[in-house]
Amino acid sequence: MSSSAIRCESLGRRFGRRWVLAHVDLEVARGDSLLLAGSNGSGKTTLLRVLAGLSRPSAGTVRILGRDPHSERLACRRLLSMVSHRSYLYDGLTAFETLRVWARLGGVAYADGELENLLDEVALTPHRDLPVGGFSSGMRKRLTLLRTRIEKPDVIFLDEPLAALDSGGKKLVERWIAREVEHGTTVVVASHAIPRMSRICRRALLLEEGQIAWEGSAADLPSQMEEPA
Amino acid sequence: MRVLGQIATLVRKDLLLEWRGRTRGLSVVLFGIVTLLLFSFAVGPDSAALRAGAAGFLVLALLLSSTLALSEGFRLEHENHALEGLLLAPVEPMALYYGKALSNTLFLILLAPILTPVAVILYAVDAGPATLVQVIGLWALAAAGLSAPGTLFAAMTSRLRSQDVLLPLLLFPLVVPVLLGSVKAIALVLGGDPMGQLSSWTVLLGAFDVIYWTLSGVLFTHVVEEGV
Repeated sequence: MSSSAIRCESLGRRFGRRWVLAHVDLEVARGDSLLLAGSNGSGKTTLLRVLAGLSRPSAGTVRILGRDPHSERLACRRLLSMVSHRSYLYDGLTAFETLRVWARLGGVAYADGELENLLDEVALTPHRDLPVGGFSSGMRKRLTLLRTRIEKPDVIFLDEPLAALDSGGKKLVERWIAREVEHGTTVVVASHAIPRMSRICRRALLLEEGQIAWEGSAADLPSQMEEPA
Repeated sequence: MRVLGQIATLVRKDLLLEWRGRTRGLSVVLFGIVTLLLFSFAVGPDSAALRAGAAGFLVLALLLSSTLALSEGFRLEHENHALEGLLLAPVEPMALYYGKALSNTLFLILLAPILTPVAVILYAVDAGPATLVQVIGLWALAAAGLSAPGTLFAAMTSRLRSQDVLLPLLLFPLVVPVLLGSVKAIALVLGGDPMGQLSSWTVLLGAFDVIYWTLSGVLFTHVVEEGV
Protein backbone atom coordinates (compact mmCIF):
# COMPACT_ATOMS: atom_id res chain seq x y z
CA MET A 1 0.00 0.00 0.00
CA SER A 2 1.30 3.47 -0.91
CA SER A 3 2.51 5.81 1.86
CA SER A 4 0.99 8.79 0.02
CA ALA A 5 -2.75 9.23 0.00
CA ILE A 6 -2.59 11.41 -3.11
CA ARG A 7 0.21 11.68 -5.56
CA CYS A 8 0.15 13.41 -8.92
CA GLU A 9 2.93 14.17 -11.32
CA SER A 10 2.95 16.74 -14.13
CA LEU A 11 -0.82 16.76 -13.98
CA GLY A 12 -2.61 18.74 -16.66
CA ARG A 13 -6.19 19.16 -17.81
CA ARG A 14 -7.14 20.83 -21.04
CA PHE A 15 -10.56 21.99 -22.27
CA GLY A 16 -10.22 22.51 -26.01
CA ARG A 17 -6.98 24.42 -26.46
CA ARG A 18 -7.02 25.97 -23.00
CA TRP A 19 -5.03 24.33 -20.23
CA VAL A 20 -6.92 24.88 -16.98
CA LEU A 21 -4.36 22.85 -15.03
CA ALA A 22 -0.72 22.47 -15.95
CA HIS A 23 2.37 20.88 -14.44
CA VAL A 24 0.76 20.15 -11.09
CA ASP A 25 3.01 18.01 -8.89
CA LEU A 26 1.39 17.17 -5.61
CA GLU A 27 1.83 14.72 -2.81
CA VAL A 28 -0.44 14.46 0.21
CA ALA A 29 0.50 12.06 2.98
CA ARG A 30 -2.05 9.75 4.58
CA GLY A 31 -4.04 11.54 7.24
CA ASP A 32 -2.87 14.96 6.10
CA SER A 33 -5.17 17.87 5.31
CA LEU A 34 -4.70 20.24 2.40
CA LEU A 35 -6.42 23.52 1.67
CA LEU A 36 -6.65 24.47 -2.00
CA ALA A 37 -6.88 28.21 -2.45
CA GLY A 38 -7.02 30.46 -5.47
CA SER A 39 -9.26 32.89 -7.24
CA ASN A 40 -12.26 31.81 -9.32
CA GLY A 41 -11.10 29.94 -12.42
CA SER A 42 -7.70 29.12 -10.94
CA GLY A 43 -8.37 25.38 -11.38
CA LYS A 44 -9.34 24.26 -7.86
CA THR A 45 -12.55 22.46 -8.84
CA THR A 46 -10.91 20.94 -11.92
CA LEU A 47 -8.05 19.62 -9.78
CA LEU A 48 -10.51 18.05 -7.32
CA ARG A 49 -12.52 16.50 -10.15
CA VAL A 50 -9.41 15.01 -11.74
CA LEU A 51 -8.23 13.66 -8.37
CA ALA A 52 -11.68 12.17 -7.70
CA GLY A 53 -11.69 10.46 -11.10
CA LEU A 54 -14.61 12.50 -12.44
CA SER A 55 -12.48 14.10 -15.11
CA ARG A 56 -9.64 12.50 -17.05
CA PRO A 57 -6.27 14.21 -16.91
CA SER A 58 -4.99 15.41 -20.29
CA ALA A 59 -1.41 14.98 -19.08
CA GLY A 60 0.41 13.41 -16.17
CA THR A 61 -0.60 10.80 -13.63
CA VAL A 62 -2.80 10.60 -10.54
CA ARG A 63 -2.67 7.99 -7.81
CA ILE A 64 -5.02 7.73 -4.87
CA LEU A 65 -3.50 5.41 -2.26
CA GLY A 66 -1.43 3.98 -5.07
CA ARG A 67 -4.34 3.41 -7.42
CA ASP A 68 -5.29 5.11 -10.67
CA PRO A 69 -8.81 6.56 -10.25
CA HIS A 70 -9.59 5.85 -13.92
CA SER A 71 -8.16 2.43 -14.71
CA GLU A 72 -8.96 1.19 -11.19
CA ARG A 73 -12.19 3.10 -10.92
CA LEU A 74 -14.16 0.77 -8.68
CA ALA A 75 -11.33 0.18 -6.21
CA CYS A 76 -10.79 3.94 -5.94
CA ARG A 77 -14.48 4.60 -5.37
CA ARG A 78 -14.25 2.62 -2.16
CA LEU A 79 -11.35 4.78 -1.01
CA LEU A 80 -12.60 8.28 -1.72
CA SER A 81 -15.64 10.46 -1.39
CA MET A 82 -16.40 13.90 -2.73
CA VAL A 83 -18.66 16.66 -1.49
CA SER A 84 -19.15 19.13 -4.27
CA HIS A 85 -21.16 22.31 -4.70
CA ARG A 86 -23.29 19.99 -6.85
CA SER A 87 -25.58 18.24 -4.41
CA TYR A 88 -25.96 14.94 -6.36
CA LEU A 89 -29.40 14.60 -4.74
CA TYR A 90 -32.67 13.39 -6.24
CA ASP A 91 -35.29 16.00 -5.47
CA GLY A 92 -38.05 13.39 -5.34
CA LEU A 93 -36.44 11.26 -2.61
CA THR A 94 -36.74 12.05 1.08
CA ALA A 95 -33.65 12.62 3.24
CA PHE A 96 -33.99 9.16 4.77
CA GLU A 97 -34.49 7.44 1.41
CA THR A 98 -31.41 9.24 0.08
CA LEU A 99 -29.27 7.86 2.90
CA ARG A 100 -30.67 4.39 2.35
CA VAL A 101 -29.83 4.51 -1.38
CA TRP A 102 -26.25 5.63 -0.61
CA ALA A 103 -25.81 2.91 2.00
CA ARG A 104 -27.14 0.18 -0.29
CA LEU A 105 -25.09 1.31 -3.28
CA GLY A 106 -22.00 1.47 -1.11
CA GLY A 107 -22.68 -2.06 0.08
CA VAL A 108 -22.76 -0.92 3.71
CA ALA A 109 -25.32 -2.46 6.02
CA TYR A 110 -27.03 0.22 8.08
CA ALA A 111 -30.04 -0.29 10.31
CA ASP A 112 -32.77 2.34 10.05
CA GLY A 113 -31.90 3.53 13.56
CA GLU A 114 -28.28 4.17 12.56
CA LEU A 115 -29.38 6.23 9.56
CA GLU A 116 -31.70 8.21 11.82
CA ASN A 117 -28.76 8.91 14.14
CA LEU A 118 -26.80 10.23 11.19
CA LEU A 119 -29.64 12.58 10.28
CA ASP A 120 -29.68 13.72 13.88
CA GLU A 121 -25.97 14.62 13.68
CA VAL A 122 -26.72 17.23 11.02
CA ALA A 123 -29.99 18.38 12.60
CA LEU A 124 -32.15 16.95 9.82
CA THR A 125 -34.28 14.58 11.90
CA PRO A 126 -37.41 16.79 11.68
CA HIS A 127 -37.06 16.70 7.88
CA ARG A 128 -36.45 12.95 7.68
CA ASP A 129 -39.47 12.17 5.49
CA LEU A 130 -39.58 15.32 3.38
CA PRO A 131 -38.46 15.31 -0.25
CA VAL A 132 -35.07 16.99 -0.57
CA GLY A 133 -36.45 19.06 -3.46
CA GLY A 134 -37.90 21.35 -0.79
CA PHE A 135 -34.64 21.66 1.18
CA SER A 136 -32.65 24.88 1.40
CA SER A 137 -29.10 24.78 0.01
CA GLY A 138 -27.72 24.61 3.55
CA MET A 139 -29.86 21.57 4.36
CA ARG A 140 -28.78 19.95 1.13
CA LYS A 141 -25.15 20.53 1.97
CA ARG A 142 -25.57 18.99 5.42
CA LEU A 143 -27.31 15.96 3.93
CA THR A 144 -24.61 15.59 1.28
CA LEU A 145 -21.94 15.53 4.01
CA LEU A 146 -23.55 12.41 5.44
CA ARG A 147 -22.45 10.55 2.38
CA THR A 148 -18.89 10.69 3.66
CA ARG A 149 -20.05 9.22 6.98
CA ILE A 150 -21.81 6.36 5.23
CA GLU A 151 -19.03 5.52 2.81
CA LYS A 152 -16.25 5.97 5.44
CA PRO A 153 -13.58 6.76 2.84
CA ASP A 154 -9.84 7.17 3.40
CA VAL A 155 -9.74 10.33 1.30
CA ILE A 156 -12.35 13.12 1.19
CA PHE A 157 -12.47 15.92 -1.37
CA LEU A 158 -14.57 18.94 -0.44
CA ASP A 159 -15.36 21.66 -2.93
CA GLU A 160 -16.49 24.92 -1.30
CA PRO A 161 -18.02 23.15 1.72
CA LEU A 162 -19.01 26.42 3.41
CA ALA A 163 -20.73 28.00 0.42
CA ALA A 164 -24.43 28.85 0.90
CA LEU A 165 -24.37 28.11 4.62
CA ASP A 166 -25.48 30.36 7.48
CA SER A 167 -23.16 30.84 10.46
CA GLY A 168 -24.61 27.83 12.31
CA GLY A 169 -24.21 25.66 9.24
CA LYS A 170 -20.65 26.85 8.74
CA LYS A 171 -19.73 25.95 12.31
CA LEU A 172 -21.31 22.52 11.92
CA VAL A 173 -19.40 21.80 8.71
CA GLU A 174 -16.15 23.12 10.20
CA ARG A 175 -16.56 20.81 13.18
CA TRP A 176 -17.30 18.00 10.77
CA ILE A 177 -14.14 18.55 8.75
CA ALA A 178 -12.03 18.99 11.88
CA ARG A 179 -13.31 15.67 13.21
CA GLU A 180 -12.48 13.88 9.95
CA VAL A 181 -8.95 15.36 10.09
CA GLU A 182 -8.63 14.28 13.73
CA HIS A 183 -9.72 10.74 12.81
CA GLY A 184 -6.89 10.51 10.30
CA THR A 185 -8.89 10.83 7.11
CA THR A 186 -6.99 12.56 4.33
CA VAL A 187 -8.92 15.72 3.54
CA VAL A 188 -8.51 18.09 0.59
CA VAL A 189 -10.65 21.23 0.73
CA ALA A 190 -11.05 23.80 -2.02
CA SER A 191 -12.37 26.96 -0.45
CA HIS A 192 -12.45 30.73 -0.50
CA ALA A 193 -13.00 30.78 3.26
CA ILE A 194 -9.27 31.00 3.93
CA PRO A 195 -9.20 32.13 7.59
CA ARG A 196 -11.70 29.47 8.67
CA MET A 197 -10.20 26.62 6.68
CA SER A 198 -6.58 27.45 7.42
CA ARG A 199 -7.40 26.82 11.09
CA ILE A 200 -8.48 23.27 10.24
CA CYS A 201 -6.08 22.22 7.48
CA ARG A 202 -2.37 21.67 8.04
CA ARG A 203 -1.04 22.43 4.58
CA ALA A 204 -2.14 24.79 1.84
CA LEU A 205 -1.62 25.18 -1.85
CA LEU A 206 -2.31 28.31 -3.84
CA LEU A 207 -3.32 27.86 -7.47
CA GLU A 208 -3.03 30.60 -10.06
CA GLU A 209 -4.12 30.03 -13.64
CA GLY A 210 -3.94 26.29 -13.21
CA GLN A 211 -0.45 26.19 -11.76
CA ILE A 212 0.88 25.91 -8.25
CA ALA A 213 1.89 29.42 -7.23
CA TRP A 214 2.70 28.70 -3.59
CA GLU A 215 2.76 25.74 -1.24
CA GLY A 216 3.30 25.66 2.49
CA SER A 217 1.73 25.64 5.90
CA ALA A 218 -1.97 26.58 5.95
CA ALA A 219 -1.27 29.00 8.79
CA ASP A 220 0.93 31.02 6.44
CA LEU A 221 -1.61 31.12 3.62
CA PRO A 222 -3.61 34.21 4.68
CA SER A 223 -0.47 36.32 4.44
CA GLN A 224 0.12 35.01 0.92
CA MET A 225 -3.15 36.25 -0.47
CA GLU A 226 -5.65 39.00 -0.06
CA GLU A 227 -8.66 38.19 2.08
CA PRO A 228 -11.84 37.81 0.00
CA ALA A 229 -14.35 40.56 0.66
CA MET B 1 -24.67 -10.73 -5.90
CA ARG B 2 -23.47 -7.24 -4.99
CA VAL B 3 -24.21 -6.05 -8.55
CA LEU B 4 -27.72 -7.54 -8.36
CA GLY B 5 -28.31 -5.68 -5.08
CA GLN B 6 -27.14 -2.43 -6.68
CA ILE B 7 -29.41 -2.99 -9.68
CA ALA B 8 -32.36 -3.64 -7.35
CA THR B 9 -31.59 -0.43 -5.39
CA LEU B 10 -31.38 1.62 -8.59
CA VAL B 11 -34.62 0.18 -9.98
CA ARG B 12 -36.42 0.82 -6.70
CA LYS B 13 -35.08 4.38 -6.66
CA ASP B 14 -36.21 5.01 -10.26
CA LEU B 15 -39.69 3.58 -9.71
CA LEU B 16 -40.09 5.64 -6.54
CA LEU B 17 -39.07 8.81 -8.38
CA GLU B 18 -41.40 7.85 -11.24
CA TRP B 19 -44.27 7.42 -8.80
CA ARG B 20 -43.54 10.73 -7.06
CA GLY B 21 -43.34 12.57 -10.41
CA ARG B 22 -46.57 11.11 -11.74
CA THR B 23 -47.18 13.98 -14.18
CA ARG B 24 -44.30 12.69 -16.30
CA GLY B 25 -45.77 9.20 -16.48
CA LEU B 26 -49.18 10.62 -17.17
CA SER B 27 -47.89 12.69 -20.07
CA VAL B 28 -46.32 9.58 -21.65
CA VAL B 29 -49.60 7.65 -21.28
CA LEU B 30 -51.60 10.51 -22.79
CA PHE B 31 -49.09 10.81 -25.61
CA GLY B 32 -49.59 7.08 -26.38
CA ILE B 33 -53.38 7.42 -26.35
CA VAL B 34 -53.26 10.50 -28.61
CA THR B 35 -50.98 8.63 -31.03
CA LEU B 36 -53.45 5.71 -31.21
CA LEU B 37 -56.29 8.19 -31.80
CA LEU B 38 -54.38 9.93 -34.59
CA PHE B 39 -53.78 6.63 -36.40
CA SER B 40 -57.49 5.87 -36.26
CA PHE B 41 -58.32 9.34 -37.63
CA ALA B 42 -55.74 8.93 -40.39
CA VAL B 43 -57.20 5.60 -41.55
CA GLY B 44 -60.81 6.80 -41.25
CA PRO B 45 -63.95 4.75 -40.59
CA ASP B 46 -62.75 1.69 -42.57
CA SER B 47 -62.91 -0.86 -39.73
CA ALA B 48 -61.26 -3.63 -41.78
CA ALA B 49 -58.24 -1.41 -42.48
CA LEU B 50 -58.10 -0.36 -38.82
CA ARG B 51 -58.16 -4.00 -37.69
CA ALA B 52 -55.47 -4.93 -40.22
CA GLY B 53 -53.19 -2.13 -39.02
CA ALA B 54 -53.94 -2.46 -35.28
CA ALA B 55 -50.72 -4.30 -34.40
CA GLY B 56 -48.57 -1.78 -36.27
CA PHE B 57 -50.35 1.19 -34.72
CA LEU B 58 -49.99 -0.27 -31.24
CA VAL B 59 -46.25 -0.91 -31.61
CA LEU B 60 -45.68 2.52 -33.16
CA ALA B 61 -47.48 4.11 -30.22
CA LEU B 62 -45.12 2.20 -27.92
CA LEU B 63 -42.09 3.26 -29.95
CA LEU B 64 -43.05 6.95 -29.97
CA SER B 65 -43.94 6.95 -26.28
CA SER B 66 -40.67 5.19 -25.46
CA THR B 67 -38.52 8.03 -26.84
CA LEU B 68 -40.39 10.46 -24.60
CA ALA B 69 -40.02 8.20 -21.57
CA LEU B 70 -36.33 7.41 -22.20
CA SER B 71 -35.17 10.98 -22.60
CA GLU B 72 -37.17 12.09 -19.55
CA GLY B 73 -35.66 9.25 -17.51
CA PHE B 74 -32.13 10.55 -18.03
CA ARG B 75 -33.12 14.18 -17.54
CA LEU B 76 -33.87 13.17 -13.96
CA GLU B 77 -30.30 11.89 -13.57
CA HIS B 78 -28.89 15.26 -14.59
CA GLU B 79 -30.91 17.30 -12.09
CA ASN B 80 -28.37 18.25 -9.40
CA HIS B 81 -25.84 16.12 -11.35
CA ALA B 82 -27.20 13.00 -9.65
CA LEU B 83 -25.58 10.72 -12.24
CA GLU B 84 -22.18 12.11 -11.26
CA GLY B 85 -23.05 11.26 -7.67
CA LEU B 86 -23.75 7.68 -8.73
CA LEU B 87 -20.44 7.53 -10.59
CA LEU B 88 -18.67 8.57 -7.38
CA ALA B 89 -20.21 5.63 -5.54
CA PRO B 90 -18.61 2.18 -5.72
CA VAL B 91 -21.19 1.09 -8.29
CA GLU B 92 -20.37 -1.04 -11.33
CA PRO B 93 -21.24 0.87 -14.54
CA MET B 94 -22.98 -2.36 -15.55
CA ALA B 95 -25.30 -2.00 -12.54
CA LEU B 96 -26.03 1.60 -13.51
CA TYR B 97 -26.99 0.49 -17.01
CA TYR B 98 -29.08 -2.53 -16.12
CA GLY B 99 -30.79 -0.63 -13.30
CA LYS B 100 -31.82 2.14 -15.67
CA ALA B 101 -32.72 -0.17 -18.56
CA LEU B 102 -34.80 -2.35 -16.28
CA SER B 103 -36.75 0.56 -14.82
CA ASN B 104 -37.32 1.94 -18.34
CA THR B 105 -38.60 -1.48 -19.45
CA LEU B 106 -40.93 -1.78 -16.46
CA PHE B 107 -42.27 1.70 -17.12
CA LEU B 108 -42.97 0.86 -20.80
CA ILE B 109 -44.55 -2.46 -19.83
CA LEU B 110 -46.93 -0.56 -17.53
CA LEU B 111 -48.23 1.29 -20.59
CA ALA B 112 -49.51 -1.98 -22.09
CA PRO B 113 -52.56 -2.54 -19.83
CA ILE B 114 -53.69 1.00 -20.68
CA LEU B 115 -52.88 1.32 -24.38
CA THR B 116 -53.86 -2.21 -25.45
CA PRO B 117 -57.55 -1.94 -24.39
CA VAL B 118 -57.68 1.55 -25.97
CA ALA B 119 -56.37 0.09 -29.25
CA VAL B 120 -58.83 -2.83 -29.07
CA ILE B 121 -61.75 -0.39 -28.74
CA LEU B 122 -60.51 2.17 -31.27
CA TYR B 123 -59.62 -0.35 -33.97
CA ALA B 124 -62.64 -2.62 -33.36
CA VAL B 125 -60.45 -5.65 -32.71
CA ASP B 126 -62.17 -8.79 -31.48
CA ALA B 127 -59.96 -9.75 -28.53
CA GLY B 128 -60.77 -11.71 -25.40
CA PRO B 129 -58.83 -11.64 -22.11
CA ALA B 130 -56.48 -14.44 -23.24
CA THR B 131 -55.60 -12.51 -26.41
CA LEU B 132 -54.98 -9.36 -24.38
CA VAL B 133 -52.63 -11.23 -22.05
CA GLN B 134 -50.70 -12.55 -25.07
CA VAL B 135 -50.46 -9.05 -26.56
CA ILE B 136 -49.20 -7.66 -23.26
CA GLY B 137 -46.57 -10.44 -23.13
CA LEU B 138 -45.35 -9.55 -26.61
CA TRP B 139 -45.48 -5.86 -25.71
CA ALA B 140 -43.13 -6.65 -22.79
CA LEU B 141 -40.65 -8.27 -25.18
CA ALA B 142 -40.90 -5.25 -27.50
CA ALA B 143 -40.46 -2.86 -24.56
CA ALA B 144 -37.31 -4.73 -23.51
CA GLY B 145 -35.97 -4.53 -27.07
CA LEU B 146 -36.59 -0.78 -27.21
CA SER B 147 -35.32 0.01 -23.71
CA ALA B 148 -31.95 -1.71 -24.05
CA PRO B 149 -30.52 0.42 -26.90
CA GLY B 150 -32.79 3.31 -25.90
CA THR B 151 -31.18 3.56 -22.46
CA LEU B 152 -27.72 3.51 -24.03
CA PHE B 153 -28.55 6.24 -26.54
CA ALA B 154 -30.42 8.30 -23.94
CA ALA B 155 -27.26 8.21 -21.80
CA MET B 156 -25.14 9.24 -24.78
CA THR B 157 -27.37 12.14 -25.76
CA SER B 158 -28.61 13.21 -22.33
CA ARG B 159 -26.22 16.15 -22.02
CA LEU B 160 -26.91 17.44 -25.53
CA ARG B 161 -29.34 20.21 -26.24
CA SER B 162 -30.48 18.34 -29.37
CA GLN B 163 -31.32 15.16 -27.44
CA ASP B 164 -34.98 15.20 -28.48
CA VAL B 165 -33.95 15.00 -32.14
CA LEU B 166 -30.88 12.79 -31.81
CA LEU B 167 -32.41 10.06 -29.67
CA PRO B 168 -35.05 8.95 -32.23
CA LEU B 169 -32.54 9.37 -35.08
CA LEU B 170 -30.16 6.92 -33.40
CA LEU B 171 -32.77 4.61 -31.94
CA PHE B 172 -35.32 4.09 -34.71
CA PRO B 173 -33.03 2.51 -37.36
CA LEU B 174 -31.53 0.15 -34.78
CA VAL B 175 -34.83 -1.16 -33.48
CA VAL B 176 -36.32 -2.07 -36.87
CA PRO B 177 -35.94 -5.82 -36.12
CA VAL B 178 -37.81 -5.38 -32.83
CA LEU B 179 -40.46 -3.33 -34.60
CA LEU B 180 -40.92 -5.96 -37.32
CA GLY B 181 -40.91 -8.89 -34.92
CA SER B 182 -43.39 -7.35 -32.51
CA VAL B 183 -45.78 -6.09 -35.22
CA LYS B 184 -45.82 -9.50 -36.91
CA ALA B 185 -46.26 -11.39 -33.64
CA ILE B 186 -49.03 -9.12 -32.32
CA ALA B 187 -50.78 -9.19 -35.72
CA LEU B 188 -50.78 -13.00 -35.59
CA VAL B 189 -52.24 -12.94 -32.06
CA LEU B 190 -54.97 -10.47 -33.04
CA GLY B 191 -55.78 -11.83 -36.51
CA GLY B 192 -55.18 -15.56 -36.06
CA ASP B 193 -52.19 -17.75 -36.78
CA PRO B 194 -53.22 -20.46 -39.26
CA MET B 195 -49.62 -21.19 -40.34
CA GLY B 196 -48.22 -21.38 -36.78
CA GLN B 197 -45.72 -18.57 -37.30
CA LEU B 198 -46.17 -16.89 -33.93
CA SER B 199 -43.47 -18.86 -32.13
CA SER B 200 -40.83 -18.02 -34.80
CA TRP B 201 -41.52 -14.28 -34.53
CA THR B 202 -41.54 -14.47 -30.74
CA VAL B 203 -38.20 -16.27 -30.74
CA LEU B 204 -36.79 -13.67 -33.14
CA LEU B 205 -38.00 -10.90 -30.84
CA GLY B 206 -36.49 -12.62 -27.82
CA ALA B 207 -33.18 -13.18 -29.64
CA PHE B 208 -32.89 -9.48 -30.49
CA ASP B 209 -33.68 -8.62 -26.87
CA VAL B 210 -30.79 -10.81 -25.70
CA ILE B 211 -28.41 -9.26 -28.26
CA TYR B 212 -29.39 -5.70 -27.40
CA TRP B 213 -29.25 -6.21 -23.64
CA THR B 214 -25.81 -7.81 -23.85
CA LEU B 215 -24.21 -5.37 -26.29
CA SER B 216 -25.67 -2.24 -24.73
CA GLY B 217 -24.52 -3.33 -21.27
CA VAL B 218 -20.94 -3.68 -22.54
CA LEU B 219 -21.00 -0.39 -24.47
CA PHE B 220 -22.52 1.59 -21.61
CA THR B 221 -19.33 1.24 -19.55
CA HIS B 222 -17.43 3.10 -22.28
CA VAL B 223 -20.15 5.74 -22.65
CA VAL B 224 -20.05 6.49 -18.93
CA GLU B 225 -16.27 6.49 -18.64
CA GLU B 226 -15.69 8.60 -21.74
CA GLY B 227 -18.39 10.99 -20.62
CA VAL B 228 -16.50 12.10 -17.50
